This record gives sequence, structure tokens and C-alpha cells, in this order.
Amino acid sequence: MTHPMVKNLKSMFKPIAVKQQDERRIMLNVPKDSLMSVLIFLKNSGYAHLGLISCVDRIADNKFELVYIVSAYVEEDVDDSMKATFVVSTFVSRKDPRFITCIPVFINAEPYERELHELYGIVFEGHPRLTPLLLEREYPIPPMRKDFDSRAYVEEVFDTVPFVDQEDDS
Amino acid sequence: MDRNQLIKWLKTPAKMSHKYSLHAVYFCTGCGIIEVPPSITARWDAERFGVVPAATPRQANLFLITGYVSVKTLKAIIRTYEQMPSPKYSVGFGSCPINGGMYWDSYNTIKHLDKYIPIDGWIAGCMPRPEAIFVAVTHLWTLIDKDMADGYKRYEKHYSAFRANQEQVLGPLPWPPLFSSRETE
Amino acid sequence: MELLNMHPLIVIVLTPIAALLAGLFFMGVTRKFTARIHWRYGPPITQPLIDIMRMFSQRPVSHGTMFHGGVILSLAGALAVLLFIPFGNIPPLSGSGGLLVILYLLLVAPLGLALSSGEGANPNASIGISRKLMLSLGYEVPLLLILLTLMTRYGTLSIYDIVHAQQETQWALVTVPLFISGIAYILILPAVLGIRPFEVVQAAQEISSGPLVEYSGPYLGLVHLEHGLTLVINIALFVNLFMGGAQNILLFFVKMIIILLAGLSINAVFPRLRTDQAVSWLWRWPALLALTGLITVMIWR
Repeated sequence: MTHPMVKNLKSMFKPIAVKQQDERRIMLNVPKDSLMSVLIFLKNSGYAHLGLISCVDRIADNKFELVYIVSAYVEEDVDDSMKATFVVSTFVSRKDPRFITCIPVFINAEPYERELHELYGIVFEGHPRLTPLLLEREYPIPPMRKDFDSRAYVEEVFDTVPFVDQEDDS
Repeated sequence: MDRNQLIKWLKTPAKMSHKYSLHAVYFCTGCGIIEVPPSITARWDAERFGVVPAATPRQANLFLITGYVSVKTLKAIIRTYEQMPSPKYSVGFGSCPINGGMYWDSYNTIKHLDKYIPIDGWIAGCMPRPEAIFVAVTHLWTLIDKDMADGYKRYEKHYSAFRANQEQVLGPLPWPPLFSSRETE
Repeated sequence: MELLNMHPLIVIVLTPIAALLAGLFFMGVTRKFTARIHWRYGPPITQPLIDIMRMFSQRPVSHGTMFHGGVILSLAGALAVLLFIPFGNIPPLSGSGGLLVILYLLLVAPLGLALSSGEGANPNASIGISRKLMLSLGYEVPLLLILLTLMTRYGTLSIYDIVHAQQETQWALVTVPLFISGIAYILILPAVLGIRPFEVVQAAQEISSGPLVEYSGPYLGLVHLEHGLTLVINIALFVNLFMGGAQNILLFFVKMIIILLAGLSINAVFPRLRTDQAVSWLWRWPALLALTGLITVMIWR
């Protein structure tokens, strides 16, 4: 059964690719210029909870796919028939990955964008602090990209640490 | 269990007390910590071995490193280990401290924990069962008996090598060296 | 009851040693009994002795002179209280004025702990010490009322005279005006001993064992010995004041064990109360009962 929001989205935003994967899961793909308007529209329709911002490294197409998962967390925001999870994605160039922050729309996006900046190298303009969140070291390229050679990095950094010399004194 | 050996006790009471009173630091690294609460509650009772969780590192003498060690956790582990009073014993739990385990090619985990702090024994598994903790404790008893569980002595003796390894991975350390190099000569 | 005729020097040497060993035995009984209530086996009864031997053979980390001195002050205070309590027919150090001296000396042990744990510069220690002092404020009020009641009833300040009077008549716990104070004392006994539900001082999970957070090696061993001594002292005080002491030390010991096991049965199944809950409860029901007992005794005469 088609979700009623599908029709709303298709009529309001052009171009948009909408696919209803499940009764309550809708996948959207929009160009990056209209992503903010889609998020604002979803938030005003009652889906005011941002669950996750994630990123897929489409190295074959030379793009990053930013994925925003939006749903209705509080029960009273939407009716029972309108409940859904929206997976909104957009493509960003891989050469110089920049995007705008969605903190004005969803205030809890700050750590997710910080993590994506650290692991993929995407710069979110307008973000108050893009400092390292999880990692302690410097990496030649952001480590979650598909062209980061993890095995070579491990061999170069961790395997070169010598075992502590233990002449038989135990 | 070898508790009823009175003559051995009377000869070396300090060693006997180190064996049968292992207070473990309740340090929760990674995934292995899920195996520790079952082993200290009623079903697999660790208190009859003398193993009790200690509230702080200063009151403990057994360090269980359960699970993978990321670079950030290594800082905390070094600080905790250096706070414990010696003689102290450390046991690596699971396959990740042994050789990297499941995260053998990860960009952010330590592959061999023995390079950074001295480990007295290893428990293989991913995750080992609570019975494996008890096998490790009894094996640690035999090691203590034979004076082979000397991780803390190795740490003091080769402290400059350990600290060089730690600084190679973590960068310059913000705390001063635990032993001045004059003592280890 | 005839007190043994022992030279005071022998008393000063023997009583602390015996009480330390008894304290270790009580701690061992605590762990074993609690374990059995939890349906598990538990460590052997000699486990606290092994723990203390291990702690004394470790190389400690000291935080200065006051740290060192405070721990010794605490143990010394506990040992000093010990000398004024009659154990069966072992004579106390001084017969007259015993209760007042005990009241004052009981506060030396927490004071020593407060002085030394403050030196550790750990915020958990400060929180723990403030909780400990607030808790002692909580149970001191009913305790003072109960002791006043006893002093009024028997007309003496000496513990030995109270014990002697009870052995001639009957236990104070079952006499008519004093059983109210007896029930009040039973209600505050967990707070005095530091067991659940009033174990807020040494909350291992909440504040990393409070005042004990910076103790390592021999200091921790001394604090554990002092904990055992506190158990012995407070239970002995209760047995002397309300259960009539005993003719000899073995019977005294049996009475202490009974009280200990009764307290442990509550300790094993209760959670901890917060400090404000504990103090408000201690100032309500036990204090009211003690006050009622005091007024009853004053009217009864």
C-alpha cells in the first residue's frame, strides 16, 4: 500500500527519486541543492527525529552518498497510518567533498557530521566544531575511504613497533 | 585447588597471599567484559578463588584486559596499570590483545598488547567462557609459585623500551616516566 | 560476675591482638554468610587474613605524612576504644566513666580516616568522607539518647556497673522501660556497623569506595583491620549494654556472633539508601523511639 507521503513528496519536489521499499520504509534520492528543503518538509510533517547521518563511498561513480535517516520518534507527532522511516540520500562530489550542515534543522546532527568529517573528510560548512571525535592519530587520507590501504597502514605503523627485548630473565 | 598445602604456605606466606587474593580491576575494554559479570555472580562464583572486583586500581593486583584495545583505550590502560601497586599481574583476555584478533588489519587498534605493557598470561577465545577465567586463574597460581609471573619486574627493568613503544604509537605522553632510567641500570 | 585479675599491661597487649583476630574472623564470616545467602559457595573464612597479608606485602604509593599519619590515627583510635569495653570477664582499662570516654573515642577513627583520605586529592574521597560524617550525624542523635536512657536507668557512667546490674536481674533488652531503647538501638545498629542499608560510605560502584579510593598496599590493610575492629567494638557495645555482657568470653563471643548473623541477614538482601534518605530515617523512627524510651525512664522512677 503506497504511503500517502510518497505522493506529497513527488508532487512537491522535482526531480526526486522515491522508492517505497517496505510498508514503513521509504528511500528518497534528491540532488544536493534540494536536500535541505526535503528535510525541512519532513520535519514539518511531523518526522522530527534524525536517527543517523551516514556516508557510502561510491568510488566507481566518484561520489560520496550522504544518507540521512529521519523518522517520527514521539508517538503523537504523526498518526498511526502515517508512521514511516525516511532514508534520504544525496550525492556529493568526491574530489572536494563539501556540504552544508543541517544543524539548524536537526540540532542533534553535530556528532554525526563530526564523525563523517573525521572518517571521510567531508567538510560541513557552518558546523561549530569539526575536531576529531574518535581517532587519536593522523592518517594520510581519511581512513574509511575505499582507497585507504588499511593493511599497508597497519604494517607501517603497528607492526614496526618492536617487541620488548626479553633475554631469558623470566 | 591447591589450598591445603600448609607447609608451602608457612614457607612463603607472601607468595601464598598473592595467589589467593587476586583483586581484579573492573576495567571494561571492548566486548570481553560481558563475560566477567557472570563469573562473579552466583552461578560461576569467582569469590571462592579469592577473585573479587576491586573498586579502584590502587586496591587491585590483577588486571584483566578483556577484548580489543583501541589507541585511545591504550592510554587509559597504561595509566591504570601504572597506578596499581606492585606486585601486579595482568592477563590478556580474548584473541584481540594476543595478535589483533578480528581487528587484525584495523587502522585504530593495537595488535600485540605485549609490546606496550607486560602481560603475564593469555586466555584464547572470542570470547572465552567464564570457566576459562578460572582455568586462567589457577594457571596464574602455578606461574606465581614458580616465580614466572614477573610482568611488573619486566616493566621496571625494560621501562625505557616499553615507554619508547608507547610513545611511538601514542605520540609524546603527557605524564612523566614512572621509573627514572637510573634505577633500571 | 567476677572480673579476672589481670595486670593492665597484659590487658593492653592481649586485648587488641585478640580483637584484631576476632575482627578478621567476623569479616570472614560476613563474606561466607553473604555468599551462602546468595546461593554460592563463597571464600573460606580465612580469606580476609589472606587479603591483609597480601596488602601488607605490596609496595604502596604514599601521598605524604598526613596520609600516613591519619591511617595510623584511625587504627589507634579504634584500639583505644577497645580497651574500655569489657569482654566477658576481661577487665576494661578503667571502670569509672566508661561510657563518656567511649563516646568521645568513637569519633577518633572516622576523624583519622577523614584526615588521611583528604590528602589523596581525589574528589571521590571528599564525597565519601562528607557522606560518612553526615551518616554519623544521623546515628549519633539516637545513640546519645539511648545512652542517656541507660545512664539514667542504672544511675552510673560505668559500663561494668551496667553489665553487673543486668547480670543480677535480667537483660536490659527485655526489661519493661528499656526495651523501647533496645529496639531503637537494634534499628540503628546497621548504621553504626556500616552495613546495608546504610552502606552509603563505602559505595564501591558509586564513588569508587569513597574514602578508600587512594589507599594501596599497607594502608589498605590497616583500613581493613580498622573495619574489622569497628565491627567488634560496636557489636560488643550492644551486647554489653543490652544483653548483659556474659560470664566468660566464650559466651560473649557467641552472643556477638548471633548479633552479627542477624545484621548480615539484613545486609545481604537490602540495597543502599541515599545519604539524605538514611539521615531522615535515622532521625525519625529510631530517634523517636529513643526519645520515648528516655521520657518513659525518667517518668518511671
